[in-house]
Amino acid sequence: MNPVWIVLAAAAAISIPALATAWAQSRIGPAVAASLAEKPELSTTAILLVAIPETMAILGFVVAMLILYRGA
Amino acid sequence: MSRIRLLGPREQLDAVLAALQDTGLVHLAEPKSGELLQRISLSEGEARQTRHLQALVRDIEGLPLPAGPDRAAAPEAPARGPPDTGEFARWARSANRARRQLTRLDRRVHELESERADLARFEQFVTAFRGLLPNGGGRMQSYHLILRGEDTQAVPRLRGALSAVLGEHFALEGADLPSGERAALLLVPTAETARVERMLAQSGVHELSLPAGVESGSLGMALPALAERREKLDRDLAELARHREELLSAEGPTLVLARSAAQDRLLELGAREHAGITPRSFVLEGWVPAAAKDRLTRALARQCGASIVVEEMSREEWRGEEAPVVLTNPRLFRPFETLTRMVPLPHYGTIDPTPFMAVFFPMFFGLMMGDVGYGITLAVLAGVLHARSRRGSVARAVAEILGPCAAFAIAFGIGFGEFFGDLGRRWFGLRPLVLDREKALLPFLGLAVAIGFVHVVLGLVLGLINAGRGHPRQAVGRGAALAMVLFVAVALLAGLQVLPRSFFTPAVIALLLAFPVMVIAEGIIAPIELLSTLSSVLSYARIMALGTASVMMAVVANRLAGSFGGVVVGVLFGLLFHLVNFVLGVFAPAIHGLRLHYVEFFGKFYSPGGQQYRPLGHWRPGETEQPLPAKGIT
Repeated sequence: MNPVWIVLAAAAAISIPALATAWAQSRIGPAVAASLAEKPELSTTAILLVAIPETMAILGFVVAMLILYRGA
Repeated sequence: MSRIRLLGPREQLDAVLAALQDTGLVHLAEPKSGELLQRISLSEGEARQTRHLQALVRDIEGLPLPAGPDRAAAPEAPARGPPDTGEFARWARSANRARRQLTRLDRRVHELESERADLARFEQFVTAFRGLLPNGGGRMQSYHLILRGEDTQAVPRLRGALSAVLGEHFALEGADLPSGERAALLLVPTAETARVERMLAQSGVHELSLPAGVESGSLGMALPALAERREKLDRDLAELARHREELLSAEGPTLVLARSAAQDRLLELGAREHAGITPRSFVLEGWVPAAAKDRLTRALARQCGASIVVEEMSREEWRGEEAPVVLTNPRLFRPFETLTRMVPLPHYGTIDPTPFMAVFFPMFFGLMMGDVGYGITLAVLAGVLHARSRRGSVARAVAEILGPCAAFAIAFGIGFGEFFGDLGRRWFGLRPLVLDREKALLPFLGLAVAIGFVHVVLGLVLGLINAGRGHPRQAVGRGAALAMVLFVAVALLAGLQVLPRSFFTPAVIALLLAFPVMVIAEGIIAPIELLSTLSSVLSYARIMALGTASVMMAVVANRLAGSFGGVVVGVLFGLLFHLVNFVLGVFAPAIHGLRLHYVEFFGKFYSPGGQQYRPLGHWRPGETEQPLPAKGIT
């Protein structure tokens, strides 16, 4: 396969989930900040809620690595 | 935990509650209601005392008193008997007097500080126009104006307005003050003052008021007077601070003691509501750690005599959900209880995940950080934090958690051959013993997923054990789900030819057999949970992703540092980059390590909703509700 396509596919595999993660965190962040202002004891839940969408970016990174390795 | 019932003559209820407070062992519960038992309601006198004590506590807590003695060093029981009503009344008067005196002092300090601020402002003004200020008398009136610093057109605008009113019969000078404001000095004929003041009022310009003591006399000669007044203010403020200190040190120790006694009495009055009474006797029920029951019986016999009966209730008389929970772990694992307490406590009788966290959390952290240099830096920071924190504090627990994390980071750093990235390789010829994280990405991914598989399977096994303790049907379902996860893993490994190919068909057949068992036992939701379990395993890929990101950042820091022309600039840049990477390398593994535990691992077995064990005891500083467990009973 053309190396350009492989590189583009890997870039899409990481960038699209990263954008999705960023969007999700941009919505979750203000919501948990507001919750923490009223209930500081929710800090653990807040950290988890913010960290949960990062799974998408991490799995995107793994898929991108696999694409690059398979392509090579 | 043992559920106990205390029975005794009604007149001894207060003595028993005081003894329970001294031992700090019993978590009081509501007694089983019966026709003969009545609840105690506070008498009018007790209700009044409660209100007075609450007011006393409020008064004392409003004072800037020291936090009190170290909680760990605080005595478990008061050194002398409980205070009487007269003593509480005396303390209340002291607290009230101290509060009033402090309020007066604080008000006076506020006034003097406000005057000092005005004085400083005026001093700046006089200094700025020293050469222009009139020396008193004469036919000219001076105005001292303060304008907003950011409004650069304020002085020209004012000049224009004055020209329209006075023609050329005025003088206006502007100057920037060190405070960032703009000052203006305006001199006008005395005959025009009425018109000028009207104009200034309409234009909203703020005239600087003269400080006390310099209202009269020449402004040009005011500087020495201002300096003298400022020195006087400084002396007065120092005197007030000394007064305040003396007041607090004179009343502080008594009021700290009074607060403890009042809180103790409030706890005791609150505990009375848990008692059930008959015309002649009382009943108290509660929870005590099984190992401490004999100690409690001896203490009650010693303090209240033989008329108090301590009876252990049979297991059939209470349900596990009612029992409070206390985490009991070996010293090495105890700091990790802080992480377990960040989520709701587990139900009584279920598995405490702390020991598993104590092993896996530092391991995941070490795998992600995996660098000897960063590990040593973290160990030093943990040592400093440990030395500077108090025993039993959260900071001490954090230091004790960071210690094992640093040890794992160093151990994995040796395995990966990393010392601040590739510096170890370049300087000391350090070589990877296990794998090279910079190049062997797929093996690292395989390692991360394999560790995830072990962790998730461990969670499923713990879930099976939890279910086996009381829900046989659920246990069968959990067992089938666990078997299916194992069969899926075998089938995948056989398909990828990691295991012999001949394993594939038996694994698939076993999967097909286990599937209906799982659905029958756990319901239709079970297949979805199975998929979620498999995706949980993949979630551990983050260990590889964060580990790779960490090593890449370190390598980039080293290369960028080397690419600068000057040695000093290069080293500084490299240090800065490593510092950023280190901070990220501490936070990201901590957050993701916690997430892997709370979401992926706990989700397989953890049963939250346990009630914290809060025995009746003496109040300790820093506690707002009820006391924590007494020493030695964790």
